[in-house]
Amino acid sequence: MHDTLVAFAKWLEGTPWGHTTRESIWAYPFVQLIHFTGLSIWLGTNFALDLRLLGLGKRKATAAQVAQELFAWNWIGFAIVLTGGFMLFSGIATAFIANIAFQWKLGLFVPLALIWHVVVQRRARDWGQTLECPGTAKAAALVEILLWICVVTAAVQIPNH
Amino acid sequence: MWEALENLSWIKTLGSTGWMYSTVAVTHYFSMFWCIGSVAIVDLRVMGVAARKRNVAELADQLFPWAWIGFVLATISGFFMFATDAGDWAPSPVFHVKLTLIAVSAIVAYVVQRGAHKWALNPEIPRAAKIVALISLLLWVVTILSASEIPALEGLG
Repeated sequence: MHDTLVAFAKWLEGTPWGHTTRESIWAYPFVQLIHFTGLSIWLGTNFALDLRLLGLGKRKATAAQVAQELFAWNWIGFAIVLTGGFMLFSGIATAFIANIAFQWKLGLFVPLALIWHVVVQRRARDWGQTLECPGTAKAAALVEILLWICVVTAAVQIPNH
Repeated sequence: MWEALENLSWIKTLGSTGWMYSTVAVTHYFSMFWCIGSVAIVDLRVMGVAARKRNVAELADQLFPWAWIGFVLATISGFFMFATDAGDWAPSPVFHVKLTLIAVSAIVAYVVQRGAHKWALNPEIPRAAKIVALISLLLWVVTILSASEIPALEGLG
């Protein structure tokens, strides 16, 4: 398993986009820009729903409506995050997989937060029928926010390891 | 003056204590994404490509409070990050560009927020409004780029 991962990481570093991200000083900020722009849309739409489930802020629309109307851009945002993240990763893939903070981020927090988000987004259709959401919905929304904070925390730690 | 800020004992502690600086950095990234994402959704709505069934003014009322809370948090945490290395940050030209872009982006975001209520009264969102929203969106993208260019061009951060 580990050998396959290392082989994959080495292959990624040899791809043209891996080369470009790593060796061109002008490309790196643009790739980071893709990742960060996607993250803004992704996290902005996630929190809009989570905060609505929690009952915070303006409550004119139900959580079910919020989930539905932000669904498309939520996942467009995710696709942008993934594109930028994949390119950043390709640049120095072998260093990333050996990095403990990256392992926490991609190995645990991202999958967990992502699965949690999908569940919250789906369940919001039922939870969010009325203006006030059930306690379960609020707890789930709070957990989602905390999970994304864990993801960002692990990401910030990557350069320190 | 900037060296004096950098040398304040509590700023020194903040800069040299791993978990403290990390907490500030996490707050900065997190609130920055939250702010920009919230504004971007309203921009996309005004442009007519997101949440088309939702009333523009209502969506702005729902998202702009989050955008400004994120903005304030990002500004405060950003100031602390700046303070820990103020002597190097203060003269950086790219950092000046970034600060200017933040100010301009925030002003244009405010124009979109105010405008949303007016535009919501029209049966069709005016073309000028869509252009303002597009400018707002692009300004935030350029702002992020300027921030990413600081380590690339000046080795800071």
